[in-house]
Amino acid sequence: MSIQLPAIGAVLLLALGGCANDPAPLEQLRLTEQAVEQAKAVGASDDSEALKRANAKLLQARLDMADKSYKSARMQAEQAELDARLAEARVLTAKGQAQIELQNERIKRLRKQLEQDL
Amino acid sequence: MKCESLSRALLVLIGAALLSACAGREASESALRDASSSVEKVKEDADVLRNAPKDVVRAGESLARAERLTSYWGTAGDVSHYAYLSQRYSQIAVEHTRQALDQERLSKLQLERQRLQLALRESKLQSVQQQGKWLEEQIVALASVDSDRGLVMTLGDVLFDTGEAQLKPSANRTVLKLVQFLQLNPRRIVRIEGYTDSTGDKAHNLALSKARAQSVADTLIDLGIDDSRVRVEGYGDEFPVEANASERGRAKNRRVEIVFSDNQGVLGAER
Repeated sequence: MSIQLPAIGAVLLLALGGCANDPAPLEQLRLTEQAVEQAKAVGASDDSEALKRANAKLLQARLDMADKSYKSARMQAEQAELDARLAEARVLTAKGQAQIELQNERIKRLRKQLEQDL
Repeated sequence: MKCESLSRALLVLIGAALLSACAGREASESALRDASSSVEKVKEDADVLRNAPKDVVRAGESLARAERLTSYWGTAGDVSHYAYLSQRYSQIAVEHTRQALDQERLSKLQLERQRLQLALRESKLQSVQQQGKWLEEQIVALASVDSDRGLVMTLGDVLFDTGEAQLKPSANRTVLKLVQFLQLNPRRIVRIEGYTDSTGDKAHNLALSKARAQSVADTLIDLGIDDSRVRVEGYGDEFPVEANASERGRAKNRRVEIVFSDNQGVLGAER
């Protein structure tokens, strides 16, 4: 009985350690960096919650890479990519809304002028 | 004794690991539920399906992956991870749908705006045309049609002081109408002709007639009519409209005449 316990422990450790065999997620990191850049390019700023998360997770992914914790690096980078894509999409949605408001404003002005002319 | 404490420590360690795994599983199950309800929502939304089908598919794929990982071989962390990705894809699908719908709305608004711009332009044009027509009627009422020279408008003797070339303020209304008429008819040009009665010497009369015509021309130019559209001529006491024998006849002969060209800018011949 007392011999079996360490054996179980060793099996558990092996199972946990198996995760460390993931390949380095270089392509995913590249994708994530691109997504973050694109979000910034369309105008997402640091007050975007999603972009803040993306940046934090990208940083964590790079730290994990340095530690050779490739699985964690991949997961962080995957989440960061979607965080950045959401940040980008939200900026574009807001821009579309602003354009609609502008157009509505112009239409209102035109209607007013037309009423004055009639 | 030593071995026993070691195995006890190991047991505590395993227990702690199991406990934390339990807590992680609870969190991952809640994340999975949230992701699942988000996917259901976007799948039920016809707008989302139409505008962001790829995002919906990815949200569904990630969710399926998270669900598969809840079986014995996945960790709670893996489940949470794919639930998170699924949730994000659903959110992105919603944003992309909003963008597409906004774009549709925007093109409708742009059409609406163009329609209104056209209507406004037409209404302005109409009002200008009406104004132009009204002015033309006014000018025609002030003018007469001479068989040789076309439309001729006469500014009478009362608009100048005796011997003076300067237009009196009482001419302002007529002159302003003239300017507006020329602005609305940009191709028409005018010849301004000065005349006097036969009193006094010929040279003086010629100079005075020319100075009065020039004074009218200067006023038009000052009010914005291009000087290329205004010719000036002085005829002295020639071409009387009435006999110079009576005071009434002489008053009629002291005048400035404005000869209008036709719509194409062609003036009648000079006298």
